Amino acid sequence: MPNTTSPPVLHAEGLTKRYGRRTALSDVSLSVPPGRIIGLVGPNGAGKSTLLHLACGLVEPTSGSLAVLGSRPAADAAHLARVGFVAQDTPVYGSFTVAEHLRLGARLNPAWDQGLAERRIAQVGLNPDQKAGRLSGGQRAQLALTIAAAKRPELLIFDEPAAALDPLARSGFLRNLMEFVTELGASAVLSSHLLDDIERVCDHLIVLSGSRVQVAGDVRDLLATHHRVTAPPGELERLPPGVETVRVEHHGRASVAVVRGDAGRPPLPRPAEPVSLEELVLSYMTRAAGEGRR
Amino acid sequence: MIWLSWRQFRVQALAGAVALVLAAAYLVYLGGDIRDAHDVYRSKCGGRADCAEPRAQFRSAYESTLLFLAAGLGLVPAVLGTFWGAPLVARELEAGTHRMVWNQSVTRGRWLLVKLLVVGAAAMVVTGTAAALLTWAAAPFDEVVENRFGTFEFGARNVAPVGYAALAFTFGAVAGLVLRRTLPAMAVTLAGFLVFQFLFPNLVRPGLMPPERTTLPMTAQAINQARSLGSIGGGAVVGGVRIPDEPDAWISDLSPLRTADGRNLGERRFNACLDSPPRTGATGTFGDTAVCLGKLRLHVAVAYHPADRYWAFQWAETAVYLALSGLLAAFGLWRVRRRVT
Repeated sequence: MPNTTSPPVLHAEGLTKRYGRRTALSDVSLSVPPGRIIGLVGPNGAGKSTLLHLACGLVEPTSGSLAVLGSRPAADAAHLARVGFVAQDTPVYGSFTVAEHLRLGARLNPAWDQGLAERRIAQVGLNPDQKAGRLSGGQRAQLALTIAAAKRPELLIFDEPAAALDPLARSGFLRNLMEFVTELGASAVLSSHLLDDIERVCDHLIVLSGSRVQVAGDVRDLLATHHRVTAPPGELERLPPGVETVRVEHHGRASVAVVRGDAGRPPLPRPAEPVSLEELVLSYMTRAAGEGRR
Repeated sequence: MIWLSWRQFRVQALAGAVALVLAAAYLVYLGGDIRDAHDVYRSKCGGRADCAEPRAQFRSAYESTLLFLAAGLGLVPAVLGTFWGAPLVARELEAGTHRMVWNQSVTRGRWLLVKLLVVGAAAMVVTGTAAALLTWAAAPFDEVVENRFGTFEFGARNVAPVGYAALAFTFGAVAGLVLRRTLPAMAVTLAGFLVFQFLFPNLVRPGLMPPERTTLPMTAQAINQARSLGSIGGGAVVGGVRIPDEPDAWISDLSPLRTADGRNLGERRFNACLDSPPRTGATGTFGDTAVCLGKLRLHVAVAYHPADRYWAFQWAETAVYLALSGLLAAFGLWRVRRRVT
């Protein structure tokens, strides 16, 4: 159960990963408290998968450090048991039946919850005798989710799990995911380039773009500290100290800016309107894309 | 983990078991056949001083079949390494399933170790059983022909094939881990292991133990017992020499023909004997040439291993292969833990 003394779910310092000359992650520092459903958003190729692969130990960092639940990722069998991972494209063994996948989970995980697994499989309507190679994308994702969750981890990591699913399957998958997280009392990290999904389920957000973390924090705090300000051009260049412009758009005689600053203080020259999560994320991504081009 | 290793391996295991049963049935039939022929040979030989003709008959009846089978058994480890070893890890990496299985509560090191042990043991059992059956089937032939150190024969009898299977399989698995693609790993395993199997008997096996050394005088009689005479690269060589005191010893190195002062016999003197020897009317394999060469008081220096070293060689070669397998496995375990993607 999350409490104030448990270590951060993710704690990165100067985390960098390069593949040859290509930098996938550059100097990422962040700390995510436990008990959150964390949304990791960013455009394709922003480094989301790399960060999650680092978090479950499939990849080693080039430099910097990353601690997951207070230890090196995949440090030992006991640590592996505490983290569940559902990879992109939800890989399963095509020649195994659904029931054999559950058996695999039971054999390989000491804390395996067979009752939970069987109940979930029945709930989503999977036939235990069906070969996994013949499942639809949505069914395969449900199976992969069940395997990752029935080992009763403290942290569930999902790498674009719903990207390939049709809207109906995606909706069912996300609902199931949320039920698992609630039942297990686990934290979860979910990456997606679909903001809708993130908005629906996450209470903590990390915006990753251009291989860097653009902004991270609890959704509630982010919404409280970001505002939309409309003002004549020029005025927005003289904002009081402590207020940072994330992005400005010029519309003829008015400029619209998304700014960051403590709620209402210091006072903004113009009335501040609330921003939507989508607007906030897009502002950061646009800024990062602009910096990338420069 | 053992259950998973077995579950993923069972189709290949079934194919291997079927092939082994077929091979066993044939080898049992062949073994009975050879025993019948051996009885016939012994009854023909009984009481007669000169057994050469029945022996040659018995030998020629089975020589090519057994050589073919020995070559076939030599391919078994390479095939197992290619079809069982190479896909072991590469298939997971190719399908992406490693991202699922490596996130169960089993470390990657243990995952690989158990898979290597389970499937590797199966490869060794299959090869070992086939080798044992061939050894049994060929036993009467080997007893008569006495060529146990032959390149093909040595590697197709007793325990050495078990070592080959271990190495081929581990090599395949590690190649798959490093190359990350199934087909290239299979190709590298097949080609790499066959090249190794060609080089090892020629370059390494003779040096597994320090050989005994002696010189053999090449009298006209000794030359006539040899199989061939010729000159290669300036040296005059004699082939198929046997040591009179130890006819079954394995000659691992043979010098060119040498004169009494220890120098190699000059090509001109050799050719003179070969092309226009003084006529003496001598009989024998090489006739006048043997007499001519015999008068030159020649000898050859021989490095050889006495026949009673056979089992020492079998175990030493098996140990070398198992040790190499262990080193490769250790590298694979290090690699899967440290550097994967």
